[in-house]
Parts: sequence; structure tokens; C-alpha cells
Amino acid sequence: MDRSNSFNHSSENPSLNQRNSDVGYSTNDRRLAYSRSFQQSHGPRTPAAAAAMVFSSGEAAKPFLDRTVSSIDMPPEIYFGDGNEELFGEGKEKRGEVSVLRLVLEIFRVLRSGSRQMKRLSLLISLNVAYSTVELAIGLFTGRVGLVSDAFHLTFGCGLLTFSLFAMATSRKKPDHAYSYGYKRLEVLSAFTNALFLLFMSFSLAVEALHAFIQDESEHKHYLIVSAVTNLLVNLIGVWFFRNYARVNLVYRKAEDMNYHSVCLHVLADSIRSAGLILASWFLSIGVENAEVLCLGLVSVTVFMLVMPLFKATGGVLLQMAPPNIPSSALNKCLRQITSREEVTEVLQARFWELVPGYTVGSLTLQVKSGTDDRPLLQFVYDLYHDLGVQDLTVQTDFS
Amino acid sequence: MKEENHEHKHIMGGHNQGHGHEHEHGHMVEICGDISSGETSLGGIKSCGEAPCGFSDAKTSSMDAKERAASMRKLLMAVLLCAVFMTVEVVGGIKANSLAILTDAAHLLSDVAAFAISLFSLWASGWEANPRQSYGFFRIEILGALVSIQMIWLLAGILVYEAIARLINDTGEVQGFLMFIVSAFGLLVNIAMALLLGHDHGHGHGHDHGHSHSHGHGLTITTHHHHHHDSNSSHGHDHHSHQNTDELRLSESLLEKGPAAENCQGNEIKLEKQRNINVQGAYLHVLGDSIQSVGVMIGGAIIWYKPEWKIIDLICTLVFSVIVLGTTIRMLRNILEVLMESTPREIDATRLEEGLCEMNEVVAVHELHIWAITVGKVLLACHVKIRPEADADMVLDKVIDYIKREFNITHVTIQIERQ
Repeated sequence: MDRSNSFNHSSENPSLNQRNSDVGYSTNDRRLAYSRSFQQSHGPRTPAAAAAMVFSSGEAAKPFLDRTVSSIDMPPEIYFGDGNEELFGEGKEKRGEVSVLRLVLEIFRVLRSGSRQMKRLSLLISLNVAYSTVELAIGLFTGRVGLVSDAFHLTFGCGLLTFSLFAMATSRKKPDHAYSYGYKRLEVLSAFTNALFLLFMSFSLAVEALHAFIQDESEHKHYLIVSAVTNLLVNLIGVWFFRNYARVNLVYRKAEDMNYHSVCLHVLADSIRSAGLILASWFLSIGVENAEVLCLGLVSVTVFMLVMPLFKATGGVLLQMAPPNIPSSALNKCLRQITSREEVTEVLQARFWELVPGYTVGSLTLQVKSGTDDRPLLQFVYDLYHDLGVQDLTVQTDFS
Repeated sequence: MKEENHEHKHIMGGHNQGHGHEHEHGHMVEICGDISSGETSLGGIKSCGEAPCGFSDAKTSSMDAKERAASMRKLLMAVLLCAVFMTVEVVGGIKANSLAILTDAAHLLSDVAAFAISLFSLWASGWEANPRQSYGFFRIEILGALVSIQMIWLLAGILVYEAIARLINDTGEVQGFLMFIVSAFGLLVNIAMALLLGHDHGHGHGHDHGHSHSHGHGLTITTHHHHHHDSNSSHGHDHHSHQNTDELRLSESLLEKGPAAENCQGNEIKLEKQRNINVQGAYLHVLGDSIQSVGVMIGGAIIWYKPEWKIIDLICTLVFSVIVLGTTIRMLRNILEVLMESTPREIDATRLEEGLCEMNEVVAVHELHIWAITVGKVLLACHVKIRPEADADMVLDKVIDYIKREFNITHVTIQIERQ
């Protein structure tokens, strides 16, 4: 599709993309929401170049135009410092130190300075919270169990979305002492949790369908329809906010992609569920037999199919799987090229994993003949793997 | 050559413990102690062997397999027990036509699901590494534990919802008595399973990695494990008195070769307290269920005694749900830290860096990353800058040996750079 065009577009015109806010909708590409002026790559991170970089912060090098440059080259030193240094850059803070007041203040600061998607997500969350509180109150006062259960379901969903928001905010922190790779993994984690919850939801819908099938009660609870319609509207607003990510199979280029995708799928699944309920009651009013079973079953299967690719992708990242965008043949080819060099006896160990989509970490152990100068070899290896997109490589050379 | 070392440490171990099982633990310590001296003499190979290494050499993989088999057996028994009880409850519930009993059977079903997840993760973590999954499948343990904790949270929420539903649809005093009986039965089942899962025999430990990491505040939940450890530990109550001091000692200074005495004692305690994270997750699940059964029992008893105080049920459920969620916090934190590739708590990265920089030839250390693939298996990667005239091979040896000796991290990747 037009993915490749927009991709080159971004790397060739860094100035055009120097926007402060999150670019969710570029005119070329609606599927890949790459965001910022991250056009920083230093070429292969050779030892010589790496020596210039200190652990905590570095400088942006000029982007140069070859196919290895991508907007996803982010060495951990360089983070989107949105004025968050004073907020989050606390260096060696102790782990797990949280106080409620600080949390509240941070929340407000984050909301004011957050990216566009974050603001939308917080709006969505507040809508959901308001709605579910109202529903819970009404359900409790009028004694309708259906409303209460719906409110609980919404509250769980809100909790998850809040965790996604928290992940978005926290992932901007710079890497610190305890988290040497930074906090970007949190986004993948929140995407995984969202996917897991959606799988639970699909399973529970299946159970509900079974329940309806066994009990065969088709009571027409019309108050539930009102709540379903409102729920549908609120979730459709959410889908509109995240419409860029409303696909099942998405290519993930950055960490945020997974998070946004999971949020979008969450609201999408919720709206499908509400739509299913509305459809079921409409069918019942027409007089279709077993309408509830059919609709709930259909919704359950749909949500399951919707969520599975995201679940597998996030699970793969969390399981330290080799990066899916680098085919094994390419890795094998690199290994062959390394072993074909005369000073290398064998490759003892070659492991690659993705920290977040788009950032690959690798560690190699080579056995080289003693007495050889390893500097050109290291440069060669770094160049080789940089072409593949491995940003962080550690090469150990054992002299036999 | 290794045999003499064995004997030597055996005697040392025997002196300092004076407990019945100590030569078994002594064995564990010896094997681990020998690795550092043995490996570097293996023809200069400093890393572990074949290209997709997958974390296993002969010793650790067999110990892993043994430990895994033991945990799997435990979980399998728990699953079967649970399934039996569940069918009993389902049959009884259908016969008595009581929704409460069926609901409890559904909770037992969730127990079975949680155990099944733990069992699967345990089994899957033993799969062989392949080039796509170069570190092996050890992470599946962690993900499985995450899934079962999510289920615990979900179930707590469902229980609170049910309490509210009960409040809304009040149907008389029969509820109180029935609630009490059903939850008492559930409590008995859960206690039986907790005993089954928590029952660590003296020789059940296969961890060789347990001995150096001070997991004292890591995996095990010391607050309520004390009750259960009393019944399980074959080493008696005096165990706990020197538990704390040894934890402190271990948390300050990880395994050093000199004071082998403390290590032996600390190791024995460490080995006792460490459990596989999946068994731990299942244990937590069962514990949470029993806490909630206690809550429902209290609520049922109160409603039975005074049917008009229905709100007590809801309050009890809320309180106990919060307690259950509190028990999961620590494990959740550990899981999160592993998944975020953070430096494991028991490794002091500053000390490591300083220790490395103290060496003569080392000028600087940068890009230091220490992370765990699962609780107990730690990896390290860093770049070490040395003086131009130093011998890279020798420095590499020194660095690897230092890390292995001081911090017991065997899977390291060190890139030597010259200034």
C-alpha cells in the first residue's frame, strides 16, 4: 500500500515533520501513525561512536538518507523530552515511591502536557467513568441487577484504559538506574493486558450465550437497551478518536502503536457488544428464536478473532521472541557473512529480541583467532546488523 | 579435580548447620560453588556452548527438569482434586436446585482454570529453545503467572458484584445458612489444596540459582507464609529467628567465596523459601479463595443470625476482596519488573560497575544492562572500555570471572573496547 511512500516521506523531509503535537493523521498514511520528529539516528552504533555517548543523554545526529534510516531509530538515550525532564527525570529515585498527592499532581501535569492521543484517551476515560457511575447509581437505587453488572463491566474497562493512559505517560520517562532499558515496555504490557481482558470478555460472552441457551429465558429488559445505546455511542466516540488504529492486523512501528491499537480494539469490542445486545433485543421483539444466543455467540467469536493478532504480537514481544519483522533468513545470512570472515572461527551465540516494536536488541558471541585486531571486525558486525535494524548490539569476542 | 572440592565443601557445610538434611543442601551448594572454577578451564570457552544456547548446561537443565517435574506433579494433583470437588458440587447443586452451590462450583471451575494455566506454563517453560525463541521459553512462566493474577483480580470483582446482586435480590433467611455451609465446604477444599501446593519437602529444591540471589523480599510473601511454613518446614521454628538476619546479610553481600559458612546457612534458607512462580501463583489463587470463603462464611453466619443486616455481607466481601488483592501485589510487582526488563532487585548494579572499574585495565563501563528472563535467571550485557595496551582476552576473562563470582551471573555478554 502506500506504506512505503509515506515511510520515505518521513525520512526525507524531517523538517516537515517537526511538529510538536502528536501527528495522528498524516495525509499519506492513515494506518501507520508515526508521530514525531524522531529523525535521529547515528548510523551504526560502533564502539567508536558509542564511546561518545554517555549512558543518560546524547545528542541528535543528523539523519542521513539511506534505507537504514527510519523514524524508529531510537537509542534509549534519546527520548521525547516533552518538558518532562523536570517531571520524570529524577535520576536514581528509589523504586516504588508513590504518594497520593504527588500522583494527583502528576496526573494533572501529564494531562496538560500530554500528546493528542493521551488527551483523547483521558477524555474517553472520564466519559466512561461518568457513565458507569451514573449507571451504577441508577441500578442500585432502582434495584436492577442488569444495570449493576453492566456498570461493573464498564468499570473494569475503565480501569484498563486508565492503565493504558498511565503506560503512555510513564513510558516517556528516561531510562534510570533500575530500568536500564527505559519504560517503553510498559506500553506493550498495557496492550497485552488489554488484549487479555478482551479475551476474558469474549469468553464470558460465550458463557452468557450458553447460559441463555440453557435457561432459554427471553425477557425483554428494555432498560438495558437504553444503557446499551448510550454505551454504543460513547464507544463509537472512542473508535472515532482512535480511528487510525481500527484494523485487525497492524504493523507496529513503535511502542505506542501497540498501546493505541489495544485501546482502539477495546472500545471497538465494547461497541460491538452493545450493538449485539441491541440487535438481540430487536430480534427478540420481532420474534426470532434464540436471538440472544446467536447474537452473543457471534459477538464473542468476533471479539476473539479481533483480539488474537494483537495478543499474539504483544505476547511475542514479551516472550523475548526474535523480532517478527526481521526474517530468519536475513539473520542466517548475517551469521554466514560473519563466519565467512577469516578471523572468525565460529559464532557461539546469537540472540535477538525486541524491547518494543521497532527497537531490537541483540547479543552476539564470536570466537575469533587470537591475536587479531577486533576493531574492524566489530565495525563490520555493527554495520551488518544495523542494516537489519538492530539498534542495540553487544558483541563479545572470545579469543581462542 | 572436582571431587576434592566436593569433599572439602561438604565438611564445611556439615559444621555450620547441624540440621538433619544438611548434606543434601550441602550438595546443592557444592555444585554451584564448583561451577565458577570449572567452567573457565573448559578450553577457554567462556560462554555456554552451542549457538542457540538456551540457558542449559547439563547440570542446570536436569535440576530444572526435576524441579519442574515436582511442581507439575503438585499442580496436577491439585487440579484433579479441584475437578473432583467441582463435580461433587455441581451434582449436589443441581439436585438441591440451589444457585449458591452452583456459583461456588463456578468458582472452583475458575480454580481449575488457574491451575491449568499454571500447569501449562510450567510445562511450556521446558520447551527447547529455537532460533526464533533464542532464550528458550522461560518467559512463559511469567506470562502465565500474570494471566492467573489477572484472573484473581477478575474473580474478586465478580465476587463483589455478586454480593451486590445478593443485596438487591434479597430472598430471605435461607440464604444465610446455605451461604455458610457452601463457603465452609469451599474453605475446606481450598485449605486442602493450599497444603498440597505449599508442602515443600526438604529435598524438593532443584534451584541452583536460588542460592545466590537474596530473594528474601522477592518472591515469597513472608507475612502469611509464616503459618504455612511452620507446618511444612522440616527445620523447625528456630529457622525463622535466623531467617531475618541471614536475609539481611545476603541482601548486602551476595555470594562471596570467603565466608562459605554464612552462604551455606543462607542458601539453605533461600532454597527452602523459593518456589516456582507458577506454583506460587496457584498457591496465591487458592489462598485468595480461602480468604474470600472466610468472608462469605462470616457474612452468611451474620445473615443467618440476624437476617436484617444484609449490608454486612457486602462489607465483608469488599474487605476480603481488598485483602486478596493485597496479597497479589507483591507477586504482581515482581512479574512487572521482569517483564519490563528491569535490573533484578537482588543485583546491585552500582556495586558491579564500581567493582569492574576498580580493575586496573578497565577505564569505563557503559551500556550496562542487567535483566532477568525469569525470576532467578539473570543476564548481563555491557561494554567495557580498557586501556589500549591491555590484553583484551585476559581482561575479558577477569571481568567474566568477577561477575560470575560476585553476582553469580553466568550468562554475560561483554564487549571489550579499547580507548
